[in-house]
Amino acid sequence: MLGKSIFRDDAHGKVTGSALYPGDIEKDHFLHAKLLFTGQPHARMIRMDTAAAEAVPGVVCILKAEDVPVNEHGLVMLDQPVMVGLNSKKPFSDVSRWEGDRAAMIVAETEEAAARARDLIEIEWEQLPVVTSPVEAMRDETIIHGEEPSNVYKHYRIRKGEMAAGWAAADVIVEETYQVPMQEHAYLQPEAGVSYIDEEGRVTVEVAGQWTHEDQTLIAHALDIPKEQVRVIYPAIGGAFGGREDMSVQIVLALASQRLREMGINRPVRIQWTREESVIGHHKRHAVTIHTRWGAAKTGELTAIEVEMILDAGSYNCTSNKVLGNAHLTVAGPYRIPNAHIDSYAVYTNNCPGGAFRGFGAPQGCFVAESQMNKLAIALGIDPVELRLKNVLREGEASITDTPLPAGISIKTVIEQCADKFEEPFSGAQVLPRSFQSLPADPKALRRGRGFACALKNIGFSFGFPERSEAYVELRGRGEIDRVVVRHAGADVGQGAHTAFKQMVAEAVGVPYEKVEGVFSDTAYTGDSGSASASRLTWMTGNAIRGAVEKALTLWKQEERPAVGFFRYQPPPTEMLDDKTGKSNPNITYGYVAEAVDVTVDIETGHITIDRVVCANDVGRAVNPNLIEGQIEGAVVQAFGYAVTENLQSKNGHILNPRFSTYLIPGIRDVPQKVESLIIEEPDPQGPWGVRGMAEMPFIPLAPAITAALYDATGVWFNELPLTPGNVRMRLKNTLVPDLT
Amino acid sequence: MAVHNITFTLNGEAEAAVVPSHMTLLQMLREEIVMTGTKNGCAAGECGACTVLLNGEPVNSCLVLAVECDGQTLVTVEGLAHDRQLDPLQQALIEIGGVQCGFCTPGVLISARALLDRNPHPTKADVQAALVGNLCRCTGYVRIIDGVLAAAERA
Repeated sequence: MLGKSIFRDDAHGKVTGSALYPGDIEKDHFLHAKLLFTGQPHARMIRMDTAAAEAVPGVVCILKAEDVPVNEHGLVMLDQPVMVGLNSKKPFSDVSRWEGDRAAMIVAETEEAAARARDLIEIEWEQLPVVTSPVEAMRDETIIHGEEPSNVYKHYRIRKGEMAAGWAAADVIVEETYQVPMQEHAYLQPEAGVSYIDEEGRVTVEVAGQWTHEDQTLIAHALDIPKEQVRVIYPAIGGAFGGREDMSVQIVLALASQRLREMGINRPVRIQWTREESVIGHHKRHAVTIHTRWGAAKTGELTAIEVEMILDAGSYNCTSNKVLGNAHLTVAGPYRIPNAHIDSYAVYTNNCPGGAFRGFGAPQGCFVAESQMNKLAIALGIDPVELRLKNVLREGEASITDTPLPAGISIKTVIEQCADKFEEPFSGAQVLPRSFQSLPADPKALRRGRGFACALKNIGFSFGFPERSEAYVELRGRGEIDRVVVRHAGADVGQGAHTAFKQMVAEAVGVPYEKVEGVFSDTAYTGDSGSASASRLTWMTGNAIRGAVEKALTLWKQEERPAVGFFRYQPPPTEMLDDKTGKSNPNITYGYVAEAVDVTVDIETGHITIDRVVCANDVGRAVNPNLIEGQIEGAVVQAFGYAVTENLQSKNGHILNPRFSTYLIPGIRDVPQKVESLIIEEPDPQGPWGVRGMAEMPFIPLAPAITAALYDATGVWFNELPLTPGNVRMRLKNTLVPDLT
Repeated sequence: MAVHNITFTLNGEAEAAVVPSHMTLLQMLREEIVMTGTKNGCAAGECGACTVLLNGEPVNSCLVLAVECDGQTLVTVEGLAHDRQLDPLQQALIEIGGVQCGFCTPGVLISARALLDRNPHPTKADVQAALVGNLCRCTGYVRIIDGVLAAAERA
């Protein structure tokens, strides 16, 4: 059953329109909710008057900060109020630190009544200094979280080897400053959900998320009720990419249902965000500024690196401290670096919070590491692929944390295979930039170039997090196994996880795929799966499924009918970085990837198109090749958006372009002319059947491969993203061809 | 608030609705008729998830007033399959892998149907031109293009 491109189970419902997303769920006698965002990047609430709002016909209740039993949440640190407002038991809850902070939840008979009431809520604010520059925030003139001594709330270090010796051994030094921007997830389905009290009296929320049991935990915490009294169900999920890891409508919906129960009203509640609410109201990929110096001997060996990285965490931590940790390690690339001095800081500001987004710190770290390697290759006169092969980590060698990477390092293979594939002749490259078809480009202005980059990224949660995944497998039948039911919480956010799970169950039991049934993503029936993130889901779930099937088969042989196996998989523990040196075993295992691109740039318009991408991605063992290729193609185009088209703009803590007409995600004409997916299968010794996590990897090296190709095409390096036509043209104008007007 | 009694053909069936002047076609489909295959991704004509056929032409239903549909013919994603027989486009997207999260899929299918109805043998560039208004964040579009071309070939 592994290695087969089984059609995904949910596709039929999705092509016929019968699949239900959170906004499609129908229940009788719905009430409708609206959230009031504060719109205040930094301000203290002085007064809030809801009298006029409450008088609107149809308004059932208005929930405020004082109504939240425990007014705090957060995936890692509980630093975020459920609602900002007065009379909350949680200190500092009267301060809005983000324009997307919530001030009130209005429940009414109709959406219109809820919206009208929302507009009638009067709030008086005392303005506080809005801090939007992380460097300015580091001076601590304005403290954004009153309970914290400093806005710099996380600092990681690497102290490895002897820096003086490293610089002395360097024949070439490349020193640069890089700036990478925020990125919006832009999943097509805006946040939505319904809540109600289920037949067993549980506060039940149906929503699109990434980790049912974490939603359940945070709801229970805020409502101050036992977890067993909260139920979370995921219907079809319209994309996630990390953007649904944090709480959006989960807690406020549960709060509304709890309040309605207290009022004796037994009616379900629904909420549906607009696109603007979605963009304003959830975290982004982090903007990061990095200053770095890399040294290499003339033979190509790296001798030392020094890095200072400042990560704009925005107003709340979300997962910033973990993202910082990943960026802190991936900034060294997959290379053998004898001497290193790295300081990385997470800093609170009043910008939109940074958080999880496909790659989780690795795109930022990798952009720096790979740009540095490409520049060193030029400076040394060594082929960029050769330079990498000279420096990549091998089994047993000390990585940046001074410990070996887990066994199964395949970076050399992915680099070699990517380069080999790229050398194969490719005809048919279309030279004209396609998005400007109405304005035919001057052929003299078109320049072409090639670029290469590679990356590694951890699979699973790091730094001592207690990773786990729980699965139930039930074998039914008498003499033979007629049917197998797997119960697992893992979220199918669109990647096809549930189909892959069933393939792995069929493989482990030894039955055809058709005999496997799934019960998924409902805390009432499943154990804790951990999150659909960190390229971990197939890997962890597969290990849990193998354990559960083994137990079920043992019971089956003992004549138990049905035979139910439960297994909680726990990978080997990981460690937090040593505070002073960073020495540690921070990760369970890694994924490896390399990409090569052919790019065309119009030096008059600054317009970039990708003609060809080769992505070599080690997946360990391909469970479903079609789904894997879908992940690679999707990640490449999403990364093209990150590198080139997407330009989220923020001023004084306000996002200026929360719409698809102003925040440009790639459209169907931005697709590279050819995306070649090279699926490599070097088994991960710890992975189920050798499986390796893969879905983030193809995102990671694209941006530095594009900047290398741009250099190849124009002789100009680009250290800042995004490479929008305006930005590219400006830099080319300033450096390459000053006479361009 | 003025309301209007309108009648129209929806997926081959006669249908009637009472709609306020400001109600969009998207709102009527999702909230009045409770047919939720047509998706709301932006409510501003920017993402294409709400695309339906109005007299055979693809339109963003969030930009059309329901009252404009009086006497007209509508097809939504629910109307593409006939007698449980999937449209070749639906079948091709399933088989080729043009569906991931699926939220853009109804709009993609409708725009593609309109294309094949007027041009049964499109080129890749034709497909790109027809789907330029349909955003997808998951697939990178590669398998959507391949799926539409495959469906054209099979038909």
